[in-house]
Amino acid sequence: MQGEIQLEQLTKRFAEVVAVDSVDIGMPGGEFFTLLGPSGCGKTTTLRMIAGFERPTSGKIVLDGTDVAQTPPHKRNVNTVFQSYALFPHLDVAKNVAFGLKYQRCTKDEVRRRVAEALELVQLTGFDRRKSSQLSGGQQQRVALARALVLRPRVLLLDEPLGALDARLRKSLQVELKALQAELGITFVFVTHDQEEALTMSDRVAVMNQGRVEQAGSPREVYEEPQTVFVADFLGVSNLLSGEATAGDNGACTLRMGERTLRAAQGSTGSRGQVKAMIRPERIVVEAHGTTGENRVPGLVERSVFLGNAFEVHVRIVGGDLLKAMVPNDGSVTEREEGAAVTLHLPAEALRVLAPSTSEAEPAATRA
Amino acid sequence: MAGVLGWLRNPWGKPRWLGVVTLLYIAWSILPVGIAVLFAFNNGRSRTTWQGFSTRWFTGAVGSVFHDPALQSAFKHTLFLGVLCVAVATPLGVALALGLQRWRGPGSGVVNTMMLLPLVTPEIVMGVALLLLFLKIFPGLGLGTTAQAIGQVTFTLSYVVVIVRGRLVSIGREYEEAAADLGAPPHDQLLRVLLPLLAPAIIASAAVVFALSIDDFVVTQYLSSDASTTTVPMLLYASARGAPTPALNAIATVMLVVTLLTLSFAFFVYRKFAGGSDAAVAAALEV
Repeated sequence: MQGEIQLEQLTKRFAEVVAVDSVDIGMPGGEFFTLLGPSGCGKTTTLRMIAGFERPTSGKIVLDGTDVAQTPPHKRNVNTVFQSYALFPHLDVAKNVAFGLKYQRCTKDEVRRRVAEALELVQLTGFDRRKSSQLSGGQQQRVALARALVLRPRVLLLDEPLGALDARLRKSLQVELKALQAELGITFVFVTHDQEEALTMSDRVAVMNQGRVEQAGSPREVYEEPQTVFVADFLGVSNLLSGEATAGDNGACTLRMGERTLRAAQGSTGSRGQVKAMIRPERIVVEAHGTTGENRVPGLVERSVFLGNAFEVHVRIVGGDLLKAMVPNDGSVTEREEGAAVTLHLPAEALRVLAPSTSEAEPAATRA
Repeated sequence: MAGVLGWLRNPWGKPRWLGVVTLLYIAWSILPVGIAVLFAFNNGRSRTTWQGFSTRWFTGAVGSVFHDPALQSAFKHTLFLGVLCVAVATPLGVALALGLQRWRGPGSGVVNTMMLLPLVTPEIVMGVALLLLFLKIFPGLGLGTTAQAIGQVTFTLSYVVVIVRGRLVSIGREYEEAAADLGAPPHDQLLRVLLPLLAPAIIASAAVVFALSIDDFVVTQYLSSDASTTTVPMLLYASARGAPTPALNAIATVMLVVTLLTLSFAFFVYRKFAGGSDAAVAAALEV
């Protein structure tokens, strides 16, 4: 498969700041690969190094077996869709799309044919003579895509291409981009800070934080099996519990939290001592007060937020931690009035023991 | 009285006294120019007493702009210097702006500041300095057209650099990166993307250079040699004390029209193609 990228010990230093810190990522050819992280995590710098706009301080960028780290951008077989599209304002749509074909030694007829094909691919047939200022944001985005794809790159780099669009357009373009990638079969490297975008579009996600890769894997893996506190916290809402891990049965471990013990069957159950454990709100079951059994914790409902298809119930458990539980709005009435006493069931199969974050940083505030 | 004051203060709208003061100022600054232009059309030899309308000082057979050899020569020399100055200062200034904007080496800050020095140096100082330069250090060049052109290029170059750099900053690096990304080697990034995007700024700066050149008196006067290197501003200054006729007003009017047309052209080109005004250009155009 063409378009395979290996980043090996890739590092970029700007004066005192290490923007990208010896990153190792393998991007298989033909996949939709996403670099996900908060702003300043080094994802855009990584992308710009692959494109050739930044020279790595050290490390390799291996594209299909060749290290291109020191190759200037105009000699790399990768193309970029910029965050602000960077369409040439002095050229019309057709000339924008044809810009790079000059360097592929095409005949006039071939240029015309390939421009028409590319515009058809992004559903902009008939827009040839428009100037970029006469296009909507979504249309400009499509022109930027056509301009890059017409060159048949082995890898397409996309730097938050949906960032400037409104929510509705964003959703439909997410689907289109994914379909386009599957149709063309070329590698897409996509940069975003939007975890939902990353989860819905990607074959593989690398979660970055402070210049390093925290975890890479399929969207399901990084969401369901986060290995660090940062990943658990950055991807969706999660509840974090602190406790002391001791040995348990059947590969699980026992978490001691003050008076209470919980059994955790997921994650680094081999850890001992002070650890953090997480559980997704949708995996917590809100039960009637007094229910007994394994991993049951009593608490008081502090708030109940109506979300339409679900209620987000905030429960203060004994010991002081606040847990959020997602209760589907399925018609059944459960105790979720504010001030009501309830029992939370934290199933052992959903309780994941986390390894400490590689950067040892406190996780940023919970993102919605 | 209270009614007038209230009308001026206009508490529920824009205060009208601001507008009144502005109008008074504009009238005050345009009035002398208007009078000078008016007497260019005087049907008599006086520049102070109105003797009826005529275009004799523009087109008449004797002593008019179109028939007086001295005026003709000065006018041609002025335009020639203007064109020469534009032809040299504009490409040089664009190249300097590109270099300064992209050069981030040690000392770039100092060079950037030095580029602005000619804008704040009193022109008389520059004129004297250039005169000494041509007399003592490069006596081979001598005074005259070449010296005048070099002198004008020296001080107009800064305007080109300031205007073009302003545009470069607002364009950013993204278009060059996009061009490189699409396979364009560096010289194509410049020719196919950067220069077309800079075109409004380049045209505007060329117009500013032209206007500065044809209006310049101090530097051009210092570096002139004989009558053949006399420009219109020099001629106006020299003959104002001698035997002035409305022909001087007429040629001044022609110069005024040429300058105004050049600057309006620059302003509209810049506004139309650069989308919006730019502080640097606005400031430069007001010089």
